[in-house]
Amino acid sequence: MRLLKANIFRAKDKLWLCIWLAGLGILWLWNTLYLNPAAFARLSAASLNTLFVGILVVFLAFLFGWLAALALHFLDETRTRIPYLFLTFLFNLIRSVPQIVGILIGYVILTLFIQGDILRAQTAQLVWMSFVISVFVFLEVADVIRERIAFYMKSDFFDAMLCCGISESRIINTEILLKNSRAHLLHKLISVFGATIFLLCSVDFIVSVGLSTDVSLSNFPTTLGGLLATMDSKQDILAIGTVVTNFRNFSALFFQHLQGISTAWIIVFTLLCLYKISNGFVKRHRL
Amino acid sequence: MTIRRNIRIASGKRTLVSIDNFEIPENRITILLGESGIGKSLMSKALYGLLDPDELDITIDGEPYRTYLARPETATLQHESFFVFQEPSTHLNPLMPLATQMREGSLGFSKSEEAILGTLWQHSPPDDVKKILDVYPKPHRPSGGEKQRILLAMAFKKIDLLIERKQPSEHEIFVFDEPTGSLDNMYRDLFLEMLFERFRKVGFTCLLITHDYSMIEKIHTSHKDIVGKLVFKEVTLVEGKQLLEDFDTDAYLEWLHTQHPSESAGSKTSRSILLAVENGTRVFNRSLIISRDREGEHPCSLELHSGDIVYLKAASGVGKTTLVKLVMGLLRAERLKARLETMQMDEQTPRSFWHKNIWGRRMTMVFQHADEALNPESTVKGTFEGLPALKRATEARIVNILNELFDSALDASFLNKKVKHLSGGQKQRLNLLRGFALDTDVLILDEPLNGLDFESAGKVIAMLQRKQNAGKGIWLISHNEEIFDRIVRKENVYYLRAESGIEKVGPTRN
Repeated sequence: MRLLKANIFRAKDKLWLCIWLAGLGILWLWNTLYLNPAAFARLSAASLNTLFVGILVVFLAFLFGWLAALALHFLDETRTRIPYLFLTFLFNLIRSVPQIVGILIGYVILTLFIQGDILRAQTAQLVWMSFVISVFVFLEVADVIRERIAFYMKSDFFDAMLCCGISESRIINTEILLKNSRAHLLHKLISVFGATIFLLCSVDFIVSVGLSTDVSLSNFPTTLGGLLATMDSKQDILAIGTVVTNFRNFSALFFQHLQGISTAWIIVFTLLCLYKISNGFVKRHRL
Repeated sequence: MTIRRNIRIASGKRTLVSIDNFEIPENRITILLGESGIGKSLMSKALYGLLDPDELDITIDGEPYRTYLARPETATLQHESFFVFQEPSTHLNPLMPLATQMREGSLGFSKSEEAILGTLWQHSPPDDVKKILDVYPKPHRPSGGEKQRILLAMAFKKIDLLIERKQPSEHEIFVFDEPTGSLDNMYRDLFLEMLFERFRKVGFTCLLITHDYSMIEKIHTSHKDIVGKLVFKEVTLVEGKQLLEDFDTDAYLEWLHTQHPSESAGSKTSRSILLAVENGTRVFNRSLIISRDREGEHPCSLELHSGDIVYLKAASGVGKTTLVKLVMGLLRAERLKARLETMQMDEQTPRSFWHKNIWGRRMTMVFQHADEALNPESTVKGTFEGLPALKRATEARIVNILNELFDSALDASFLNKKVKHLSGGQKQRLNLLRGFALDTDVLILDEPLNGLDFESAGKVIAMLQRKQNAGKGIWLISHNEEIFDRIVRKENVYYLRAESGIEKVGPTRN
């Protein structure tokens, strides 16, 4: 109990991670008992797809961010001006596009791919969606990496290691990023995961409610945002409103309107938990 | 009344201080020596009631710290005495001009302010101190040395009030925690003179914390009359517990007097010049003038032969560290002419040149602040990883290297200990060993004895002499003149001064 107190209750990020997992676990158990099998399969697929995209975006954003930061750093250090300016311009161009607009453009391209039978497999479509989202969020990771490098370059330990003949790439990757910036990077990746869930659900919802007749979610892999926009889920959400005027319907929410409410709850609860985990992480690591 | 306390300080599971006999004799100046980070400041602050009981687990004489803080004698101690902090910036209020802080509380009753400031600024233009008093202290303004002198002036004002009373209270202790850390030797000597001058008038209880062992010789040569009233103590760490023991100044002085320049094989002319730095290096719109005389009347190039130690001296802030950083290619000079054997280096030389040819291969530099020069999140073993000379080094090889300056009973847990958990002295030893392990032709050492205890300092000197005998060139920067003046030949001592604005570089004499 003492160990649990020290590890979980004092570390708010760990506590909220447990709450998140427990919340999702309880919901899954409840839905296995009371949600009809077809809706349960849809909800499970949507949740897993969303989770898959979230994790893949975290991985890709880290990879792109790391490559971009290192490329800019070494081009700057070696005073290779033209490639440095070109990359800076390119990144600033990406930065200037609002994330949601950029992702919508990516969806248009995905539709074209689907129409042209280029991307048939659902996994390939999810990978494309992850790639598009990561293109518009990786610069946040790159910025953190560059800030960390710049911070340590001003310190004596960077120069002292250089004087000892330690290679600059080892100083940056091992000594600065791995040993001194893990917490900062992990914190950024948690926020990237949260942003991905939010962006994915928002865009899928926008697209599915009929932003354009050319782009339709009917051929896209199911995600939580897409599932939320289906007629059944919408009616389930509207059912919450009826509880205000007729409280007797309250218990029906948990037995008859599970699909929409579960979908909405997973999204909101996940975002809340990620926010809390992120805050707890900052506090625990004194970032 | 002699103060004797048992002090325990812990942070979570880590014991920071555990001492059974922390003793400060009454009406004596206790000079507390010991390597950096061993807990000298922490135990003094605990005694003074300056630590936060919410942050640390502290007991004094077995009773909780809150009870100790509530004692009337603790309040009297804080009210009647003065504590000069190691880091002057933390002592000064950034929202109040220095003049106001100088006259705060009981300090306002002292009439000796002008005389004290006049003495402490006797080597500066007359208006300097007046300008400084109007300043709100910031991290970089005034300089560290000036802030330190302001703090010393405050402490001396408080001591002067005591002298006026002519009767010290039994609860008065004046604590000077590394009071000369930001000062060069000239100001260090001035501080000692001012402190002893007051002590001769009225004996008071004073604790002077330092790891500058070279202070001992100065006291024994210039203040012989007072030696009998001084108590030299050293804090050591034995099995995780601090131990306060009498420090044998005679043994130290005997060791010091046996030090002499090591004779390298062959005459100087027959040995090759490893490194030459031409005079007139320019950086930050200042010219750095190297000379063989303190006054700087005979500018010359700095030459380092194989098997030699050269010693560069200058007052704090002149640019000794800047000069070696320029030679090491870490800073970009406005003008630089240096030569490492046949390799020329100047202000146009790209950074990649040092990367490929110099760093860790031909030359290395040990930085002065081990705290900043080592990666705090790295382990002891990790500090040696990535070094060109130790790419495939085994644990046993690293232990061998460590054994040069650490106890021979090193185990795996020490190798895996994070640098941030080492004491200041241990960090400095690790910092030095990393530089020594590279075995480069030229080794630049910036304040190598910083934070070391006497035993470690002796081992470092012996290592330097072994390097010298192996034909390596060593470039030293240090304020420990009493020690290095004995081991460096006079012709290898150089002085540095800076000239601002228009260049006035004299003729270079090689």
